[in-house]
Parts: sequence; structure tokens; C-alpha cells
Amino acid sequence: MKGQSDGPVIRATGISKQFGETVAVDGVSFEVSRGETYGLLGPNGAGKTTTMRMVSGLSPLTAGELTVAGIDVSRQAREVRNILGVVTQEDGLDTDLDAKSNLTTYGFIAGLSRKEAEKRADAVLMFFDLTDKADGEIDYLSGGMKRRLAIARAFMTNPQVIVLDEPTTGLDPQGRNRVWQELDTMKQAGVTILMSTHYMDEATALCDRLAIMHHGKILAEGAPDEVVNRHAGPEVAQVRVSNGVRQDVVGWIEGAGFDYREAGAIITVTSRNGERPDLSGLEGVRVSYRSSNLEDVFLAMAGRKLTDE
Amino acid sequence: MNIAAPNTYLAGFRLRSITGIWYRHALVLRRNLLTSLSWYFVEPFVILMAIGIGVGTLVDSVDGVPYAKFVTPGVIIGSAMFHAIFECAWGGFMRIQKGVYETTLTAPVSTREIAMGDLAWSMTRAVLTAVCIGTVAALFGWIDNVSGVGVLLAAALVGMQFGALGLIFAALSPNVHILSLTFTVVASPLYFFSGAFFPISVMPDWVEPLAWAAPLTPSVHLARGFVTGDLGMSHLYSALYVVALTAVLFPIAASLLRRRLVK
Repeated sequence: MKGQSDGPVIRATGISKQFGETVAVDGVSFEVSRGETYGLLGPNGAGKTTTMRMVSGLSPLTAGELTVAGIDVSRQAREVRNILGVVTQEDGLDTDLDAKSNLTTYGFIAGLSRKEAEKRADAVLMFFDLTDKADGEIDYLSGGMKRRLAIARAFMTNPQVIVLDEPTTGLDPQGRNRVWQELDTMKQAGVTILMSTHYMDEATALCDRLAIMHHGKILAEGAPDEVVNRHAGPEVAQVRVSNGVRQDVVGWIEGAGFDYREAGAIITVTSRNGERPDLSGLEGVRVSYRSSNLEDVFLAMAGRKLTDE
Repeated sequence: MNIAAPNTYLAGFRLRSITGIWYRHALVLRRNLLTSLSWYFVEPFVILMAIGIGVGTLVDSVDGVPYAKFVTPGVIIGSAMFHAIFECAWGGFMRIQKGVYETTLTAPVSTREIAMGDLAWSMTRAVLTAVCIGTVAALFGWIDNVSGVGVLLAAALVGMQFGALGLIFAALSPNVHILSLTFTVVASPLYFFSGAFFPISVMPDWVEPLAWAAPLTPSVHLARGFVTGDLGMSHLYSALYVVALTAVLFPIAASLLRRRLVK
């Protein structure tokens, strides 16, 4: 295949995107290797979608360099879209067509012959377990089925690289599980996946490596457990406080220089330099410890003002 | 290995993008064939009957042409226009809103090719409705010249022209309420003042040039020339005017669509 090399499949070097005065992506660099699942993790507005759209050749770069399979996205956006399977954030399904026709028309537009598109649609529907919905009206499919159909559509050309913008946002737990399973199967088949998510658990479960994004920048990058260890330490303290002493406890935590987050009656305190916060001397608190996760990294890196998801 | 075939280009357009989008539209029509018939056939047929026969009994003839025969090309061209505008303005707006164009762009397709694919289809729609009404009109003897087949050419030109105009409105409209102005403020006035129902010459002198410059009028004139078989240079000029307008409108439509979709 044209443009393939042994180097990284996706290589972004200092890519930026500006909309008027707003800087959506601010000099981001990362590389995705063949067969790897790489995640962009961050809250809404972090710049994930814009980054994904730039990689997909759907949004021109303001600055930086970006290659996909050795092809310069800035110069040959169309060639890049020839190689990639892209699942946009909205499913973008065509409600004027039934489920299978959504696949066949996309396949035909992407360059398959009508016969190939037909054959491939049957295979893809089977793989995503949507065969019995082939004739279904799009509007009557559940959210999870729509999402899977949108992912199936990106697979019509059998791409070896797929870009998935928030694969499970808005899905119920079953729907999410289902999509996770399918992404895992693709991964086993050797497909390179670039995905974005604002779910920490999703990133942990699916990604070989990930980048945590905030305000258009990458704050931390690496394998999920490595990132957690490096930035949040092995454990966090969860502190249940009674109302009267809240101010004292917060004061103590701030004085000791730990990062923390308040959610209802629970204050979560992250480790610092591997040192876990020892709050045993305080009155009116119940402390328990648990393993740190990416959420805690986020807290540590992006500051305490961060709201959940 | 990506299994898509290599791309073939013509004048910078990837051909499969255009045929693919046309195929998508054709599939939608096939899926809704019966309801679509009311659009292609019943409504213009009703207008033709009401005006041609109903009003025709009062009017007798225009410039020596029986009224029904006078009105036939106008109704055909008007219907062609409404089909093109509906496909590209309304349909195009919905495809923007529902992310259908966005999905199309994830394939190796450009916004210019999306616009061209939609125009190819709006032209097809315009010709289809012209075939439907034209057949009925021919059965009634309101089209009795061989040259009447030329009406299809006029309809095709209108299909492209108003397809481009429709896409412009789709790309510019922030919501459906603004979009609906395309029909009330643009399409309907054009229809009624295009010379479809009465000759331009009955309007006040100062309105006449305006009416001739209006984008639908030349096509009605062209179609009427084919139907009556009385063709002259003015018909050639009319055709060239429509082609020129389309040539101007298309790049505008494509770039507005790009502005709307590629950010």
C-alpha cells in the first residue's frame, strides 16, 4: 500500500488548530504505532474532537505536521481518507436509507463496486451482529445499535487504521460493553485504533497508550497504569468528612500541598511523589485508600476545579 | 488491506464520488416510490388540469396558442424547479443537519463533488417530473410536436440551475425557518412571474426586463419554444443564460458548502 513504512502509522508534530481567536488544539505531538490502540482522554472542550478531525483529513491544520501512513494530511487529505476508517462523533447515519443501504452506499461512494459493497455489507453486519437489523429503519434502532452501525460503516473498506471519536458517549452500559467487545476484536485483528473518550474507565480498558488532554494540550502521555503511577501515585485517600470539620480538613490538605477534589461528602486526595496522604490524625473523618486511576491523574494535572467527566 | 478501488478523476472531480451520491439519491427514491409519485406526478397534474382546463375555458388562447398548451411548458418547468430546490435546499439542509454530508466526507470525497453529485440528482429529478407531466400533456394533445421532447432539456437545465441555488440556501440557512424562505420568497414568486401562466408582455413595461432576468423566465420561454415548435435565436440565448447562471452559482454553492462543513 502506498505511503506505508515501518515508522508510526500516525505522527503528529506540534499540530494546532485555531478557530478565530479560540485555540482549540495547541501544539500537540504524538505517535501511534501499527496495531496500537491510542486514546485521547479529556473533558469536553479539551480539543480531542478537533485533533481527531485533523487526523481524519476533515479539518485543515493551522500549524504543525501530520502524517498518516507516511502521507502528509495537509497536502493530501483525500488520500488519507482513502486509507482511514473514520467514525465521527455524531453517528451521521442516513435516515432516508435502511441499515444495510447505509453501509452499501457508503462503500460504493468510498470506491467499492456495488457487488463488493453488497458482499462486504453482509460480512460487516454479521461481524457486528446486526444482520437481523439489515432492513431496519435507522430511527427505530437503539443508540447502541446506531453507534455500532456507524462503526461498521467505517469498516466497509476494511481499513487498517480507524479513527473513533467518542465511541460510547451516550450509550447505556450494555451498549458500551458491546462496543468495547467489538473494538477489542478489531484490535486482535491488528487494526490500529485512534480513539477519543472522556471516560477514564474506557481509556483504561481499551488503550495501550493514551494522552490526557486539557485546554488543547497534552498533559501526560503513556500506558494507562504508567501514567497513573507517575502522576497520581499508587493510591488515593478517600475522606468522608462530617459537616462541621470540612473547613479544617480542606485547610489541612491544602496546607500539606496535596491535590484534592470534593464531591458531596467525599474528598478525594491524591498521593504526591509516591507519598500517600496520612490523614489519620484528623478529627471527624473516615479515611479509606484505593488504587489510583486516570481520574485522579486528571485531578492532579488539571487542578482541583475539574468537574467529573 | 483497504479494498476500495483506485480513484478515477475527470476535470479534478473523483467520478465515484458523483456517481455514488447520485446512486444514494436514486436508492432513496426507489425506497419511497409511491409517496414520491405524488410529488412527481399528482401535484403538477392537478395544477395542469385546474389551470389548463379550468382557467383555459375562460381564457381561450394566448398569442394564438390554446391556453392549456400555453400553460403546459410553464407547469413542467415550474415543477422541475420545485423538485430541484426541494432536493438541494430542503434535502441538502437535512443532510447537513443529520451529518450525512459529514459521513460522505469521511470517504475520499470533496465538498465540490458532494455539490456536483447533488446537482446531478436534482437534474435527474427535474427530468423525471418533466417526463411524467409531459406524457400526460401529450396524451391530452397539449404537446403535439416532436420538438416537444426538448422540454426535457429545458427541465434538465432548470434542475442544475436551481439545484445550485438550493444548495446555496441550504449552506446559508442557520435553521429551517430561514430555509423556508427559499420556497415562499424565492420559488413561488419566480414560478408565478416566469411567464408560466401569462405572457411577460402583459406586465407593466418597467417590470418586463426584471421578469426576463429572473432565473426561471428564460427556461419557461425555452420550454414553450420546444412545445410550440416555434424556435428562434431568443431560445438559444435563453439556454445560454441559464447555463451561464448555473456556471456562476455552482462554485458559490460548493464553496459555501465547504465553509459550512469543513471547519
